[in-house]
This record gives sequence, C-alpha cells and structure tokens, in this order.
Amino acid sequence: MLGFVIQRVLQALVVMLVISALVFMGVYAVGNPIDVLISPDATQIIREQTIRAYGLDQPLWKQYVDFLSRLLSGNFGRSFVYNMPVLDLIFSRLPATIELTLAAVFGATLLGVPLGMYAGYRPDSLISKSIMAVSILGFSVPTFWIGLVLIFTFAVTLGWLPAGNRGDTATLFGVEWSFVTWNGLTHLFLPALNLSLFKFAMMVRLARAGTRETMLTDTVKFARAAGESEWTILSRHVLRLIAIPIVTVFGLELGSTLAFAVVTETIFSWPGVGKLIIDSIATLDRPVMVAYLMLVAFFFIMINLTVDIAYAALDPRLRTRRAS
Amino acid sequence: MSSQLLEVAGLTTRFETRSGALNAVEDVSFSVAEGEIVGLVGESGSGKSVTGFSILGLVDPPGRIVSGSVKLNGRELVGLSHADLRSMRGREIAMVFQDPSATLNPVLTIGTQMRLAIAAHESLSEAAATARCVDVLTIVGIPDAGRRIEAYPHQFSGGMRQRVAIAIALLNRPKLIICDEPTTALDVSIQAQILTEMKSLAARLGTAMIWISHDLATVSSVASRLLVMYAGRLIETGPIAAVLRQPHHPYTKGLLNSLPGVAEPGQDLVQIPGSMPSLVNLPEGCSFRPRCTHAEDDCTLLPAFTTEGARAFRCHHPLNLPVSASEARP
Amino acid sequence: MDRSTPLARFWDEFRTNRVALVALGVVLLISALAIAAPLISPQNPYDLANLVLMDARRAPGFVGSKGFTHWLGTDAQGRDLLSAILYGLRISIQIGLIAGAIAFALGATLGAFAAFLGGRIEALIMRVIDLQLSFPAILLALVLAALLGQGKWPLITALVTAQYAYFARTAHGAASTERSKDYVDAALSTPLKASRVVFRHILPNCLPPLIVVATVQVANSIALEATLSFLGLGLPVTEPSLGMLISNGFQYMLSGRYWISIYPGVALIILIVAINLVGDQVRDQLNPRLKR
Repeated sequence: MLGFVIQRVLQALVVMLVISALVFMGVYAVGNPIDVLISPDATQIIREQTIRAYGLDQPLWKQYVDFLSRLLSGNFGRSFVYNMPVLDLIFSRLPATIELTLAAVFGATLLGVPLGMYAGYRPDSLISKSIMAVSILGFSVPTFWIGLVLIFTFAVTLGWLPAGNRGDTATLFGVEWSFVTWNGLTHLFLPALNLSLFKFAMMVRLARAGTRETMLTDTVKFARAAGESEWTILSRHVLRLIAIPIVTVFGLELGSTLAFAVVTETIFSWPGVGKLIIDSIATLDRPVMVAYLMLVAFFFIMINLTVDIAYAALDPRLRTRRAS
Repeated sequence: MSSQLLEVAGLTTRFETRSGALNAVEDVSFSVAEGEIVGLVGESGSGKSVTGFSILGLVDPPGRIVSGSVKLNGRELVGLSHADLRSMRGREIAMVFQDPSATLNPVLTIGTQMRLAIAAHESLSEAAATARCVDVLTIVGIPDAGRRIEAYPHQFSGGMRQRVAIAIALLNRPKLIICDEPTTALDVSIQAQILTEMKSLAARLGTAMIWISHDLATVSSVASRLLVMYAGRLIETGPIAAVLRQPHHPYTKGLLNSLPGVAEPGQDLVQIPGSMPSLVNLPEGCSFRPRCTHAEDDCTLLPAFTTEGARAFRCHHPLNLPVSASEARP
Repeated sequence: MDRSTPLARFWDEFRTNRVALVALGVVLLISALAIAAPLISPQNPYDLANLVLMDARRAPGFVGSKGFTHWLGTDAQGRDLLSAILYGLRISIQIGLIAGAIAFALGATLGAFAAFLGGRIEALIMRVIDLQLSFPAILLALVLAALLGQGKWPLITALVTAQYAYFARTAHGAASTERSKDYVDAALSTPLKASRVVFRHILPNCLPPLIVVATVQVANSIALEATLSFLGLGLPVTEPSLGMLISNGFQYMLSGRYWISIYPGVALIILIVAINLVGDQVRDQLNPRLKR
C-alpha cells in the first residue's frame, strides 16, 4: 500500500510539472508576458523595471525555472484590479467556493445515491421513472438556466429565498462560513441546489446502473438464499459493491463542481473564486487567471490522487495486487 | 411417506418472455428424505437450477411458480409471504452456487458476510457470532479459521472459497442444502476432495442435499438417488445404482453411454444425436422424441410419469423393464 | 423482411421507441425552423431599422407598433423574441454542429492512429487525453475563450479543444479492439498504406460508439456554447446565440420580466433534451451489451 501511495504521489508531481510548463508556455511564452505581469496603465520606467525584475531578458528555460521557483514560494504576483497579492485574494475567496461545492456534492450524493439505488432496485415502478425523468432533465438542462429559473421561482415570484450573495457569515476555525447562520444558510440553499442538480443526476444514474447490474449477480442471489433481507442486501452488499465507482465519480466531480461553480457563482453573485475568475477575465486581470489555473490544476491532481488511494482502500482486490 | 423432509408435487415454473411463455420447470414431482442426498441431473437449460430456485421461492421475474406445491416437513412453501420465505431461506433450506468467486461478495471480509447470514435469522452477540463462524469454517476444513475470518474472498484459493460458501450455507444448520453444481468451477483434484468431504459432512450433520449437476459421474459418487431432467420435465427417477445399471429412459441411457468409463479406451464416446429443443418451441408429446432412436408414433402424446416400485419414468417405450411389468402395460 | 440493409434495420428498431421517435421529430422540426428562420420570422431581429424602442420589454401577446403580435414578448431593444429565438437557434445549432464535426474528425483520427501505432506514441497520446478528460470541459473552454478572445472561430476552437478528447478516447478504445483482430493484420500484409488501413478498415468499424459520442457531444457543445455566451465569453453581440439572449434577459428577471430569459432557455432545453433522448436510444441500440 505504501509503495502504491508513493508511486502515485510521484506521478502527481510529474503531472503538476507538466501543467506548470503548459501554463508557462500558454501565458508567458506564447502570449506577451509583459501583459501578464504589468498593468497596461504602467509607465515605461515601471515596465522596464519589471522586465528586469522578472528576468524576461533571460533565456526561456531560465525563465521557466524562475517561474517555477516563484510558484513554489507562493509568489503569484499582484492583482491589478484589487492591488493585493493574488494568493491572498484567492484564499480570501476560497472558503465561499469550497462551502458551496461541498454543500452541492454532499447533497447530491446523499440524495442521489439512495434514489438511484431505488430506481435500480425497482426499475419499473412509477417512482423510479419519475426519478429518472428528473435525472434526465438534470443532465440536459444547462446549469445557468436552472439557476435563472430557481431565482425567478423562489426569489422573485415566491420571495422565499434570497437571490444572491452569501448573507450573514460567522467564524468557524478562523474562516467565515455561511452555513453556520440561519440567514447564511438561506443564501446557500439556492446556489447549492443549482450546482448540485447535475451531480444529483449523475449520482442517480450511476447508482441505478450499478444497482441494476449488482442485483442480477450471484452475490445477491446467494445472500438471498441465506435468508438475508432485501434491506440488508441493499445496504450492506450492493452499496459496498457500487461504492467504488461512486467514490471515484464523487471525487472527480468534486473537481468539476469546483469548475461549474463558476457559472453558479456568477448567477447568484456568490463571492467565491469562480466569480473572481470571471471578473478577472472580464477585466484582463491576468495574474489572477494564472494563479487560478495553477490552483485548479493542483486541486485536480490532489483529488485524483485521493480518489486513487481511496479506491485502493475500498477495493481489497486492488490493494493486494498493487502492493505485491 | 410422512418421514419425507421435502415433497415437491406438480411444480411448474413459467417464464413470460418476449418470444412467448415457456415452462422452465413443468410438472416436477419428487421428494427428499431426511439426511438423503438426491442427485438432479440434466443438460444446461433443462430446468434443474430453476427447480432449485423454485424450492427456495427465489425465481427471478419474469419467472414465477404457476402451479404445484413444495412442502417442507409438511409445511407448504408455495404462496408463503416474502417475510416467511426469507426466514425459511438459509435456516431451513440453504443453497450453494456454482462459482464461489461470483457468489461471495468481493468487498466484504468473509467474517462480515458470515455474520450477515447469521444476523438474518437470530441476533447473536458479535463474539458469539464470530465463534460460530470459526466453528463452521473449521468444520468445512479451513485451517486457522480464527485468523482467516478477517480475510477477503480473493485471498482464498478456489477450493477454499467454495468451502467458505458451504460454511455460509451451513451456518444456520439447515435441514436441506441445495447444491447447484458446487464443484463444476473447481479443479478436478479439488472437486473430488470437496465431493468426499460434503458427503461425509452431510452424513455427520444429518443434512439432506439436492445435488444439481450436468455431470452424471459426479452425482453418482455422492447421491443415493437420481433424478434426471430433460427440457423442464423429470424423465426418470430411482435409486442411483439401479438407474445406472438399467436405465429405463432412452435419454438416461444416452447420458450413460456418453460417459468415458463406458466406452472402450481409444473409441469415440457415444453421443446423443441432436441437441435439446428450445423451451419456447417444444416438440409435441415427449420432448426427447426428435433425438430418440426408440421413438414411435405414440410418442407424439406426452407420456405419463409411471411409477414402478422405487423407480419412475416418463416414457412410452421404456428400456430394461422387467418382463412382467412391460407385459402388464396396455 | 426484405429490407435488411443495416440502416433499414436500425430504423425499424428505432421506430419502436415512441419517446425517441417524438424526440427525433422535435430535433428535425427545430432544425427546419432554424434553417428557415429568415423566411418565417415575423421580423429580422438584427436589422436595427426594424426595432422600435417603444415596444421594448413587452409581455408575450403584446401587439407592437408594427402591427403584429409578439407572441413571446420583446426584449430590451424592442426585438421580437420569437424572431430572436429562431435566429438564435440557427446560430446555436450551427456552432454545435461545426464544433462537433471538427472534434469528431480530430479526435477519431487521433484515437485511431494512437491505437494503430501503439507503443510509446500511443501511451503518450492517451496519457495526455486522459489528463485532459480529468479536467472539466467547461474550465478548459472558459480559459481558451478568455485567451483567444471573442468570435465564432475562437469559440469553436475552445469547444473543439474541450471535446475532441471524448472522441479520441472512444476511437482509441474501439480501434484497439479492432487492431487486435485478424482482418487488420490481413490488410496490413497487403501492400496498402497504413493510413489507408486506418481510414478504410479500422475507423468504419469504430463508427457505432463514435456516433453515440457524437450525438451527446453535439448537445453538449450547444449547452457549453450557451453557457460561455451567458458568461460573456462566447459570440460577439452581432451573432447572438440563445445563451446570449438568456444572458441579456437576466438583468430584467429580477423585475419580473421573465420572458426575455425564460423563452430562449425553453427553446434551448427542448433542443438539448430532444437530442439527448435520440442519443440515448441510439446508444441503447448500438450497445451490444444490452442486446438480448
């Protein structure tokens, strides 16, 4: 198991290196690095100072090494718009996004997996068909439009829930969270629902397909022949058997939900990193874009790594095979 | 006949498929005495496995039992509620399947799986349940059971895995175990080992067994009585030695002739010509008629299940019948 | 049963699913409406001379100063929404099809060649594709759209980059299976060029799974394009797709003028759901595992 983890971590490091090279080439080498590092309004003197300070007169490979060492020391430059270190800016926005993403993914999984299992267990019942209809809609309808409809229905027409912002926050473990206050929770509900629908649809499909397949296996027949109840079979045997793909997707989706949060945050004016990146694209705040890219890449790789390791922990067959 | 443990009478299990309804099991009647090992033989698709599942009330839709009765110690099982059937399964009748790597749950330790099987019928403390699991694992011949109990199925060899599956079937001390080809997926040397062990196990625990197999040789080494199935119907039953010596049904004879032991070394094995008909499109009358060398015109009428002492057969032109009996026939 | 060409058999099976049949009808109808938009729209929504500011933000059913009824209302410039939706569909479908087709050609070729070449090149190509697939398409498209700027071709480039990997992986999977079959070795032992073997022999046999991916991806392209346009990273204002119509109406929604955003969205969803339903049926039909 340890050898497996080490191998995976090394792999992740290599991928991170490749991505940093790609971002470097994409933004620094191919594009004009001056645009990335210096605000268009800067004076000529500042321009030249910065070119020298960042070593843009150096050969390309040396520039890349410098770029890497800056990244490693956490120096992502300053935002033109907010005039503060990019990393601080992003970290100040991150809790909002993480809160939203976790609420969406956990909500989708906790609701989607049982409903999907039911739909797979009783594929022909009316309830199952309704569950599947909702999941087809969740899959097809673009997130941003669902967001609009949610705002129009619950905020504008019914006036039950607020249409945007985080609402009141309170400090927990030194970070501001919305979910710990009632007002914040009401603000969190609609965006989280919006963001979770696609994941919900995916979890339903996954759980349904897995359950349908598993119910036909001899494992289930054998458990039935031993007199185990349907509930035991579903909750102990089937759930564990379908857990492997679900955990994989759960992890991978945590990442893509982070990306889709861009859309939801824009619609609901949720002050997270997604809204930040859209704003920085609109204002050409390039240091923020670079930092966001690297950070998302890092997140993704960490998530993939965690999923791989969780996989090994969940599937005993894999564990022994990889370890030996 | 009240000493019979299991009495199956007129059992018919039908599957409604898109290409029409078919009877996977039709009018099957037999009984199993306490502690008796009965062999159920037939080709794949002959309905022998469905018979096993029908007894347990575990026929998957679109299949269902349409008529007949299954009595366990005189209690009717057909038509029992789901809850009653569930509490019967595993505790009174258990089942062992063909492929242990498909039946055991690969992501749960065998201890967890065994405890689940116990918990289905009684609430024992964790320690008591584990103790029983270790006992039963030891009985079926798993060395160092106390330690192995926390292992996963893939950490066992094929033969050991089937022993674990057998142990799960034995956990709640059932009166009857239905063994659906439990040795087919194993190596030949391990097959023989498990056969012998199960036979002595059954004798020691007084457990009756229905041993389902396509392999007449395997069955004849464990069972004391033989049931032969063809295309959903029982076509011959009787004490195993008698049936092997003097088969009444031409199909049974064909099966016997195709065994390697019967033919001379170096000679081709004798095959039954043709193949089993599709259940959707059965020939009229005797299903074996198209392949039968003894078939005559009256075989287009379904022969009745005729009892002759301890033996029974479903054939208009039985072979090897005592002269008096065959003359007595109209 | 004389009609036994594969296409005829496919159609016979397809017809048995009512939902898919209706969905196919809807897709065809919407496509026809989109193609005929200039002929059937009540007005040309992008000819500024046609727009009357007095008619702006009117509710559905309003009879405008030009004398015709705005069945779906008007937007902030007094544009007839029905006309705008028809023109928007035209652009959305066009972008979706072009992006889908290019991604198909690029991805399928890459995947098939990777499977065909094997060895290190295959490993490298597939590693890159797997890496890309683990990234969400929307983020990739977002970054590219931001880097490349606004416009039709930058947008299509972004969509293709975000989607070709799905085709490549599917083609690679199918082609690897094909590659291991004897007929490929047989074809290779003749003096045919390798590229000819790939295009004439391997690719055609990989088509069924690729077609399934294609239907899904055209729907995804349309949705992704709408999302990008909604975020202001899509097409320029001169070519307003459905996403942009929805985006333009968003600010009026809080004051209860729902129709400017909702109706274009409804059109978008009907289109996407219908394509997906057709795709589901095609997938079920082409999936040998579901065949009994």
